[in-house]
Amino acid sequence: MINEELVRKVIAEVLQEVGASENVGAASVAARQSVTAVKAGISMEMTEKERATRGTDAREVVVAIPPAFGTEFDATIVDVSLADVLRQVFAGIEEQGLSWRLVRVYHTADVAFIAHQAAKLSGSGVGIGIISRGTTVIHQRDLAPLNNLELFPQSPLLDLETFRAIGRNAGMYAKGEQPVPVATKNDPMARPKFQGIAALLHNKEVKALDRSKSPMELQVRFR
Amino acid sequence: MADKRSKRFEILENRPVHQDGFIGEWVDVGLIAMDSPNDPKPSVVVRDGLIVEMDGRPRKEFDMIEQFVADYCIDRSVAQEAMSKSSLELARMLVDISVPTKEVRRLFSGLTPAKMADVIGQMNIVEIMMAMQKMRARQTPGNQAHITSATDNPIMLCADAAEGALRGFMEEETTVAVARYAALNAISLLVGSQTGRPGVLTQDALEEAFELQIGMQGLTSYAETVSVYGTESVFVDGDDTPWSKAFLASAYASRGIKMRFTSGTGSEVQMGAAEGRSMLYLEARCIMVTKGAGVQGLQNGSISCIGVPGAVPSGLRAVAGENLITMIYGLEVASGNDQTFSHSDMRRTARTIPQMFSGADFIFSGYSGVPNKDNMFAGSNWDIEDVDDYLTLQRDFRVDGGLNPVTEDEVVACRNKAARALQAVYDELGFPAISDEEIEAATYGHSSSDMPPRNIPEDLKAAERVMTEMINGIDIIKALSKRGFREEAEALVRMMKQHVSGDYLQTSAWVDREGGVWSAVNDPNSYQGPGTGYSMSEERWNQLKNVPWAIRAEDV
Repeated sequence: MINEELVRKVIAEVLQEVGASENVGAASVAARQSVTAVKAGISMEMTEKERATRGTDAREVVVAIPPAFGTEFDATIVDVSLADVLRQVFAGIEEQGLSWRLVRVYHTADVAFIAHQAAKLSGSGVGIGIISRGTTVIHQRDLAPLNNLELFPQSPLLDLETFRAIGRNAGMYAKGEQPVPVATKNDPMARPKFQGIAALLHNKEVKALDRSKSPMELQVRFR
Repeated sequence: MADKRSKRFEILENRPVHQDGFIGEWVDVGLIAMDSPNDPKPSVVVRDGLIVEMDGRPRKEFDMIEQFVADYCIDRSVAQEAMSKSSLELARMLVDISVPTKEVRRLFSGLTPAKMADVIGQMNIVEIMMAMQKMRARQTPGNQAHITSATDNPIMLCADAAEGALRGFMEEETTVAVARYAALNAISLLVGSQTGRPGVLTQDALEEAFELQIGMQGLTSYAETVSVYGTESVFVDGDDTPWSKAFLASAYASRGIKMRFTSGTGSEVQMGAAEGRSMLYLEARCIMVTKGAGVQGLQNGSISCIGVPGAVPSGLRAVAGENLITMIYGLEVASGNDQTFSHSDMRRTARTIPQMFSGADFIFSGYSGVPNKDNMFAGSNWDIEDVDDYLTLQRDFRVDGGLNPVTEDEVVACRNKAARALQAVYDELGFPAISDEEIEAATYGHSSSDMPPRNIPEDLKAAERVMTEMINGIDIIKALSKRGFREEAEALVRMMKQHVSGDYLQTSAWVDREGGVWSAVNDPNSYQGPGTGYSMSEERWNQLKNVPWAIRAEDV
């Protein structure tokens, strides 16, 4: 069941932001330089570094996230901690003996384009895009943006085990292997339960965009 | 809330409807179905044959959707006459059986998006249904199925496509769990559909360039996931414009592939860019872009965003309203009903009634021909487990919903034949073998979990071969013919001929088992009140009323 309180909270927060949106700009970007998300025991601290460039390491996977990830949002649509999400994705990549880089994309909240941006920046040509409510795509540089290697469209069904498997498979693609795709979960009732709130969350995600800003490298520390 | 709870309210809270997500209107972001205070007020000024003002905005301030609609959709010669009538008067013309459809179409082609939305706003749901019955383009109603598999199992897909065709679906669409399986899914649908009932059209809903490619290879015969949007920013986010979509539409037409656009209420707010406009107003703009692009039809009825209008007041009325606008323009409508939006069986049924009872070119843009857990469009409002209820509704109300009662023996035989045909095709093409055990499982199974597992990486290599070696419809025909599946091969030859003749590019076209094409041209809707319009033949009614599980009076 959708938590009515959460819906009200999101509406109230967004309305508040709309009211103050005239002079959000620089202040909120500055505030975003260093943020801490705490949930379920572990927390993360993300620090924004220089502008992201295309990697040369063929043994890396780039993970890209939108502006509200870990700043406005600290958990997915089903309350899975975003710090845990990233940790599991990274662990999956590392399991394959590869390294990862984290990038924040500012110009779009469309997960296909975020993932494609990650792939384009990645030395291996393989990237992962994750938006704040959890929707995830594994992408490859030479595919069309709306094509992909693997797509996980139903955010309410994504648990930490799945995120680990997503990282693992991305690592395998990066090494030129052909992994068995992560088993697709399908809950026909996810839409009736979550679509309204997904719309609210997405509106909030979009409000954090800065369409003129380039992707930036992020440093992340888990505690 | 008080500590002591009302038992009545406790019971009500545990009803399925309480698992649905409802939200209040939020006008600023466009979470409102109809009549947003931010919707523009209708207006038009035509000067020297050019629309210089529309819905309160001067031409130099038009966004690209407004420019496209003003220049390619609205008939400037009737715009001022039409816009001078009140919305109420126009709404009454839609339901008045004495005003001919042709006259309604002439006048309504001069309306602006804001006026169109305002006219629909004057109507209650029964009036919208009356207007649908009168305005829909083709006389004979039809239905369309989703055929997908959670594991992309090719044999199960093929058997399900055959059963769906036998059950009466005129069109079948698939998509994927894993994108790289797409070419194999297209082949499964092609072989299965033509085994079940020759002439069924199939599509593979994927990325747009892939859809065009696979259609050109003759492995699909239609497409309907060419999305248009009601705000400029959403269009631009998708790297598109109305002009690029119109160009894509002409690419399909030039290659003899039937195609319709896709839109629907709620998508703009779902994507966070509704600009505070109502869902129906934005959808009116999408429909007018479709008309302006010269496309024969539209898949709408909210589609994958149905949870959004379904969550706000009057949302399902707006969804019926958008189907009606599409019909007003004489476009083919595949009217939604194809996505889960409610836990409540009552709401699920109620959402379907406007299109099912009034008739539509395709009542669903994808009734799930497979159990919903296998539905890779994330579930349909109705699935194969509901089909006997659907057949009963057809019988209860003497309504043709496009489906046929079938017997177990027919279904088993047809699934088996389709699976064997696919086994032959795989063998001829050198694809990973299909075992007799898999055929047995697909013949009698219900879902993909009844199937033995496949070697997925090996199947994916075969899928890649389809695209790199350009394996096409003719290759499938050769394989079927060589292995004795003569009827299926002949059915496929007729489908390939359509890619050349293009008869099925006419509005609302479907192909019958002999290869005859029926459309708004040779089967136009003639409804003008009781005793006119579509009526079932005696033969069709006998078929629909004889559901196999009814007790025959003469046997008692």
